[in-house]
Amino acid sequence: MSAHVNARPIGGPLLDPLMKVLLSIFGVSALVVAYRFLTGMGPVSNMTDGFTWGIWEPVNVVVFTGIGAGAYAVALLCYLLNRGQYHALVRPAVLVGAIAYTLGATSILVALGRPWNSYWLPFLPYWNLSSALLEVAICVLSYVLVLWVEVLPSVLEGAAASRHPALQALGRRWRPRLDKAMPWLIALAILLPTMHQSSLGGLMLIAGPKIHPLWHNALLPTLFLVSCLSMGFGTVVVLVNVLRVAWRARLDQPLFAEMSKVNAAFIGLYLALRLGEVVVHGKLRLLGANWPTFFFLLELALFAAPAVMFLSPRVAADRGRLLGAALLTLAAGALYRVDTYLTMYRPGGWTDGVANPARWSYFPSIGETVVTVGMVAFGIASFVFVSRLFPVVVVDEASAPSPLGRGTVRAASQPLEVTP
Amino acid sequence: MSITRRDLLKGAAVAGAAGAAAAFATDAQARSAVPARPHAVGMLFDSTLCVGCRACQQACKTANGLPPDVVRGGDGVYDAPVDLNATTKNVIKLLSDGDRAQFMKQQCMHCVDPSCVSVCMMGALHKEGEGKRSPPGQRPEQAGTGIVLYDKSLCVGCRYCQIACAFNVPKFEWDQAVPQIVKCELCRHRGDPAKAGPLAAANPACAEVCPRGAVIYGEREALLAQARERVAARPEAYNPRVYGAVEGGGTQVLYLTARGVRFEQLGLPQLPEESSAAFSESVSHAPYLMGVTPVALYAAMALVINRNLKKKDAGHGQEGE
Repeated sequence: MSAHVNARPIGGPLLDPLMKVLLSIFGVSALVVAYRFLTGMGPVSNMTDGFTWGIWEPVNVVVFTGIGAGAYAVALLCYLLNRGQYHALVRPAVLVGAIAYTLGATSILVALGRPWNSYWLPFLPYWNLSSALLEVAICVLSYVLVLWVEVLPSVLEGAAASRHPALQALGRRWRPRLDKAMPWLIALAILLPTMHQSSLGGLMLIAGPKIHPLWHNALLPTLFLVSCLSMGFGTVVVLVNVLRVAWRARLDQPLFAEMSKVNAAFIGLYLALRLGEVVVHGKLRLLGANWPTFFFLLELALFAAPAVMFLSPRVAADRGRLLGAALLTLAAGALYRVDTYLTMYRPGGWTDGVANPARWSYFPSIGETVVTVGMVAFGIASFVFVSRLFPVVVVDEASAPSPLGRGTVRAASQPLEVTP
Repeated sequence: MSITRRDLLKGAAVAGAAGAAAAFATDAQARSAVPARPHAVGMLFDSTLCVGCRACQQACKTANGLPPDVVRGGDGVYDAPVDLNATTKNVIKLLSDGDRAQFMKQQCMHCVDPSCVSVCMMGALHKEGEGKRSPPGQRPEQAGTGIVLYDKSLCVGCRYCQIACAFNVPKFEWDQAVPQIVKCELCRHRGDPAKAGPLAAANPACAEVCPRGAVIYGEREALLAQARERVAARPEAYNPRVYGAVEGGGTQVLYLTARGVRFEQLGLPQLPEESSAAFSESVSHAPYLMGVTPVALYAAMALVINRNLKKKDAGHGQEGE
């Protein structure tokens, strides 16, 4: 994996002000979670029997894993289509994937009413194979493991480069073994997200009567799969842009331009399927001066705009414009997910595109929001922590990262000397 | 550039094979409709007979050991639930449309092909005797009654059943640290195997106590026949449709209402004849082709990736950019 030669630990103080802020936010959310386990779901959330999943499932699970799909998207290009030039993107994308999926899985545990019974989930005789959620649960949990194993090369490389002989030996011994297993793992790392990302759309098939017809169709699994790839490519562009500003990570603009053209193709496919379904099934008559129409058109615009931008040479050449377009793909995928799961979900159902009256209404509580924000904060903190200690990010050799704090922490193997 | 047209074609071939398998499987594996079990038990509610005395509501609470749903009003305190909730498995609602008023009884519909059972990860919600196990410490379950039962020790509390149920029946204990799903189980625990007929399977307290016979308990087929007889005998009094005969794949609790009253006014959703479970399972299972697709896809991808990585190791230097 020679392309990783340039990846190196960023170093620097582990507990810098940013980290302190992130961990404080996470601390507050951990308190809310603790309170939720003591009192039940009711007191901390605005969830009701009507809006039973609130924002935790649609945002923490469905949107987070969409962001985590960067690992999936890059693996597709790099390994299956053999585009070796994307290698430098693999490690950061996989780390984001591992973190995002772990947070999604953790959020499920927090949202489950009886989490201790999930102990039985790996027990095959109890599997109900018609349950899309079972498929998601099993696939996501296995994929979390696979992703963290995919992070291991960085860790072992860090160990091998350390001064501690035992760690060195560990790194040198296990790195080649892991490399041997990699093709089999990578194939799993492509298969599992293909299955559960489509199942995340498939989850809502059964709620047919409760979802606005513009969002409910037999293509839900396909649309979720295609749009997760679009979100994944977007995530990688956004991520590397942030890393470039923060740590002068290498940013290969022509490569991003090429990748974004692939993304434009995926978005084109998504739009063709989505619009085609609406037209073929005569759902155009549901369009009018109403909120569903507004959200439908907003989604289409958010998908279409970056696709058009990705194809323009001016955008391809400009870092800022391409970043803007990538952010739009993230917004588009996230809105599509939240609309399907929440905004366009009505417990009382719909008649001709108009929501039937029902007693329930929902807006996320402060507690729910704090938990979601805390999860995001913890995710960013984890990424910073791992990248400082292990070779994940490829840094531009031409402009070495700022010497500030560099060398303070070189690798996990060395005793941490946190500068006062 | 390490990419060649051939590599792209290979990737496209893998994707194409998967897609073709999926398209083929759609026809091969569409899940067929579930017929009602021949001796399924259920209830028939006739809104033209109900006078709203709520005796059934009280009997349900007593029979199931449910605490009162306390409402303060005027100068008194009442056990007056306004809807199904974590302490109410059966509720009577007054629904008026202009000058016509009808009482409506709500509880689990015990669907013929229930969404909640289709989505429940480990079969905590299951048709009697058709789950993953017969919960220990209870009367052994008998397949064929079609009663939808809840086994709390296999429930993770994911609440997917609440999303899936078109009738919004399953309720969650929001204020409990150790919550459960609460819903009508047709008073299976009051069934007496020593008795003959449907009373051996269950004995719903609501039907037993109803002074007007507005809700009666029995085998679904007998109830359906009786409902049709009532409509045929007094067509001027009844809405000709028997709700639950086919709606959402059929339900084991059936409804009659007065002529001129639509079932939607009573809060019963308009559902297609295909059950949501059949639709969802057909669409989701099709691409899996009984598990062949994931295995084939995995093998094909592992092969391609293996070759790609080997090539990279061998031809390193010329492949890099």
